[in-house]
Amino acid sequence: MSTLALPAGLDRNALLKRLLQLAVPLGATAAALVIGLLLIAISGRSVADAIEAFMDGAFGSAFAIGASINRAVALALVGLGFILAFRANLTNVGGEGQIAMGGIAATAMALHGGVASLPLGPAVLLPMLAGCVAGAAWGGAAGYLKVRFGTNEVISTLLLGFIALLLVYWSVQSENLLRQPRTSSSTLPESLPIPEAAQLPALTPFDESPLHIGLAICVVAAIFTAILLSRSTYGLKLRAVGLNELAARRAGMPCNLLLISALAMAGAFGGLAGAIMIQGEQYYLKAGFSSGYGFDGLVVGLLSRGSAIGVLAGALFFGFLRSGGISMEIMAQVPAALTLVIQGLIVIAVAGSVILLEKLETR
Amino acid sequence: MGAAADITIDTARAAEGRPLLALEGVSKRFGKLQALSEISLDFKAGEVHCLLGENGAGKSTLCNLIFGSHAPDTGLMRFQGREWSPSGPAEALQSGIAMVHQHFSVVPRMSVVENLMLGQARGRLRHREQAALIRAMTAKFGLDVNPDAIVGELSVGERQRVEIVKCLMREPRLLVLDEPTAVLPPEEIGALLDIVRRVADDGRAVILVTHKLAEIAKVADRVSVLRGGKLVTSLPMQGTQMGDLVRAMVGREVTSLESALASSLAGIARAEKQGDGPHKYALVCDGITVRDAGGAVRLDNFTLEIAPGEVVGLAGVEGNGQTELGRVLAGLSPPTSGRFFIGEAEMTHASAAQITAQGAGIVPEDRHAVACVTGMSLAENIFLNKLGQFTRFGLLNRTALTEAAKGLMQDYDVRAAGPEIAFGSLSGGNQQKAVLGRELTLDPLVFLLAAQPTRGLDIGAVEAVYRQIRLAASRGVGVLLISSELDELIAASDRILVLYRGKVVGEKPARPDQREAIGALMSGHA
Amino acid sequence: MDENLAVFIASTLRLAMPLILAAAGELVSERAGVLNLSLEGMMLTAAFFGALGSWATGSPVLGILCAVLASFVVSVVQAVLSVHWRANQLVVGIGFNILALGATTLLYRIIFGGLSREEIPGLAKLAIPGVSDLPFIGPALLQQSVLVYFGLACVVLIWWMLKSTAFGLSIRAVGDDPRAADKAGIPVARIRFQAVLIAGVMAGLAGSFLSVADINTFTENMTNGAGYLAIAAVIFGGWTVWRTLGACLLFGAATALQFQLPAIGIEMPTALLLMLPYLLALLAVAGVVGRRDPPTALTLPFIRGK
Repeated sequence: MSTLALPAGLDRNALLKRLLQLAVPLGATAAALVIGLLLIAISGRSVADAIEAFMDGAFGSAFAIGASINRAVALALVGLGFILAFRANLTNVGGEGQIAMGGIAATAMALHGGVASLPLGPAVLLPMLAGCVAGAAWGGAAGYLKVRFGTNEVISTLLLGFIALLLVYWSVQSENLLRQPRTSSSTLPESLPIPEAAQLPALTPFDESPLHIGLAICVVAAIFTAILLSRSTYGLKLRAVGLNELAARRAGMPCNLLLISALAMAGAFGGLAGAIMIQGEQYYLKAGFSSGYGFDGLVVGLLSRGSAIGVLAGALFFGFLRSGGISMEIMAQVPAALTLVIQGLIVIAVAGSVILLEKLETR
Repeated sequence: MGAAADITIDTARAAEGRPLLALEGVSKRFGKLQALSEISLDFKAGEVHCLLGENGAGKSTLCNLIFGSHAPDTGLMRFQGREWSPSGPAEALQSGIAMVHQHFSVVPRMSVVENLMLGQARGRLRHREQAALIRAMTAKFGLDVNPDAIVGELSVGERQRVEIVKCLMREPRLLVLDEPTAVLPPEEIGALLDIVRRVADDGRAVILVTHKLAEIAKVADRVSVLRGGKLVTSLPMQGTQMGDLVRAMVGREVTSLESALASSLAGIARAEKQGDGPHKYALVCDGITVRDAGGAVRLDNFTLEIAPGEVVGLAGVEGNGQTELGRVLAGLSPPTSGRFFIGEAEMTHASAAQITAQGAGIVPEDRHAVACVTGMSLAENIFLNKLGQFTRFGLLNRTALTEAAKGLMQDYDVRAAGPEIAFGSLSGGNQQKAVLGRELTLDPLVFLLAAQPTRGLDIGAVEAVYRQIRLAASRGVGVLLISSELDELIAASDRILVLYRGKVVGEKPARPDQREAIGALMSGHA
Repeated sequence: MDENLAVFIASTLRLAMPLILAAAGELVSERAGVLNLSLEGMMLTAAFFGALGSWATGSPVLGILCAVLASFVVSVVQAVLSVHWRANQLVVGIGFNILALGATTLLYRIIFGGLSREEIPGLAKLAIPGVSDLPFIGPALLQQSVLVYFGLACVVLIWWMLKSTAFGLSIRAVGDDPRAADKAGIPVARIRFQAVLIAGVMAGLAGSFLSVADINTFTENMTNGAGYLAIAAVIFGGWTVWRTLGACLLFGAATALQFQLPAIGIEMPTALLLMLPYLLALLAVAGVVGRRDPPTALTLPFIRGK
């Protein structure tokens, strides 16, 4: 009897199990989409029109695709950071705050760091670096609180997240910080636009596509994360600390450093996402610029079950879902809130199906 | 109040004739192991009945049968004259049998009263009435417990008293205490024994499981000795000589294990004591003292020198300071006072990593908590402390790691489907051989601590473990072997120190003819 | 000045009230070991259904019932998923928040359509006869919505329940040491389930306070983070009832001050005031101000024998 050629280390049973594991979240997603379509039908709009508008908004033009992917880039970076920290059994709930800190730092660096006169490379990289550092500090702070005071990182990252959002608010409210000079009573509470030199170069030669090199950076980050988690000694140590801190310590691993660095790295990824959002698309800082990205990114990270490719796939899916939803509202009069409904249902369904996966694994 | 007391005394008197609990030919088998065979015993109200025996003699199994955690395979139990076959601990508690386990189940952040009401109270809590009840009870039995104290802030002894109060609140006819003194610091043991005495004097039956003869002498009315699942003897305490009990407990024909071990290890050359190695001593402990969080002394002025190539056995019933010593030597928590050196370098406050680098291999007693990460692969666990050897530019060379793991699996006879298999899926013996292999392949290796290295292993694995330890010694490694298995210590060590209540109470050569003397020291009968 | 103070106290109480209601319920749930990030979603759902019920029936009381029922349903699903199915509490909570924001916005557009800012029948203010006309105290404290008095009674009830009933004792035990509680015969899953439902009911009251009792209308995303603020209040309150109540009042005062300070001529960054609650909560969990530890088993699912 000849057996089917299978990747090394996988027998047929294991493969079947993998497929089933993939089938559960996909099934949950499909179910949520069906419910969404049903809702459209119930509300009396044409389902066909809605789907057409959705596809048009998500994939219909170079602009649509570019915007969706740009959105996905930010989600993916937060998700990658999440799975990094999660490898050490740390749940980073503070993605949104880390984006916010990255956004503040990148804006400040772009406006006041003298980058406008620098050549293209440093002018773009310095604000991004500032974003990474600020995000890392925000994430690392939670790590420090954990090893120093034993503070639960779920609670500290959540609270640090809200503080960061209000720091953004503060930054754009006060002219002493980043608010643009008030010239009239209608001057908005926003920063000045960042100089052109600091804006991310476009990735494609097409004028209409907003796609920028953030995508390339994100792919590099995903490869880096995948290698770090599956190939590096550091990744293995993170896993050891996460599974059994005492044994890791006995084996001579610097546990505190590992925990802090894991959260700092997660934060750096969030900060990078914030910088890319400012430098790539938004160009100026305003309150609530990161709204929803942090939690969406967390969800992408958690649903990926620790795989970098899973993060990319989930981020793209959510990115296109949001863009398509906006288009549905404009073109088919279906409120964009519907995509929120679908997304919420997906998150709940996938999270709730964990018990099914557990049963699969123990079988 | 007076009437109630009279009734208690009356019942006690009436019960004098017939036993409260009777075991008739009870047997229990776990897989291949015959844990209990044909035990017949009576337990009477008003009596403290001590069950004495070494590890694995079947004492805990017997308690679990009585408490309903397990059911006997054959034989009959009678409780208060009726056939006793409880469906589980819940029925036992309801019928008047309570048990104090070695592991407490109290909620640390709640007060004593709250813990006692948990699962008992319905509707509104009556803190004050309950506290008064507890005070009355604690006064009656001499239990020193403050009902309003937060359990997490209490010492181990106080927590144990909470457990006892919890049992007594149910007004049990029979109270079972499984090794209650094992977790206690020495100065709390006396108080516990007083309580046990008073509970029995109140007309209840008490079963006290213990290793320690001194305790028996103080409280027992009757002593039953178990050995290898069989009842050796059951005597009234009055008129019984301690020496007889020691002999009943430990003195006996040489077992197959002991002779097998002895002959297996005999072929391994003993190293020259005064070697020409780089070190004069493998390990020096200078007055190591450990106090627990409550300030109680757990290890008292422990001093020891181990030469290269020497295997020193540290005998003692578990809970007499071995755990604390192990943690200190592993670099997990520094001693309260005293110093220790590995290969002449002071390591008192060194980290685990520094201790490893200095050449100390550690096989800790709690394998799952300290020695391995069960969720990772066998290969990863084998090289958990040597990952740097397989790392280039931060990347792990998995091929090399797997190959090296295969080599070590062969050298140390670790049997598994492959190095990539999850460590947790291995048998205890193979896990231990892997851990031992990891620690013995440290370079340099000066000293090895092996704490309870054969716990839970089958006989083949036991032999393999000691073989590797002796082989290491023959290469000039100094070994500290901590075990409560006397046979194994005698077969594998050069000399034996006995730890009792945190103190070294004696030193004997590791010879079979010293068995009784060492056994007596271990049980506090010097 | 006096008048300013009276307005300040009244608005503090008004702003703190939804926090107090939601935090009291969340406190119960967290003491049992379940962290509901979905508190925000529950409140938003309740605010919407409260408004809807009140608008459809013309009765604010029925509206509040609708709100509580809607929030209760959300909490049942949250409890089934996170307690019985052992799903990640945080992710389920986030999912509900996204869902609630989407669903309430969607339904609002569908049902109320073009009618924006539909005024709904609101809950009457209860002026306590005799004393409510007292100068200063009257307007500040005693002319509040009925729901305020009811809510405060609920807080007292929850405090008493946690401290003095066997149920409360069980809740604390399953949050701190589910294994020991299990051994003592406490049905861990059932107690946690019930605790989450209590959070749901209280979040329902909190949400309906926003739409039915306070501003008499529903607006999209009208909770705007109040649920998270309530969670921060529980944290700053160190998981005890009275300190949590104090935290809610403090947070309410901070929010009220951002409108009051300019009125009396003090310039202060409003961001700092708004940040204060989270900053204080962070300092509290870090142990800088009177360290309190969360329930030991917070966010951890319980599986017997593991």
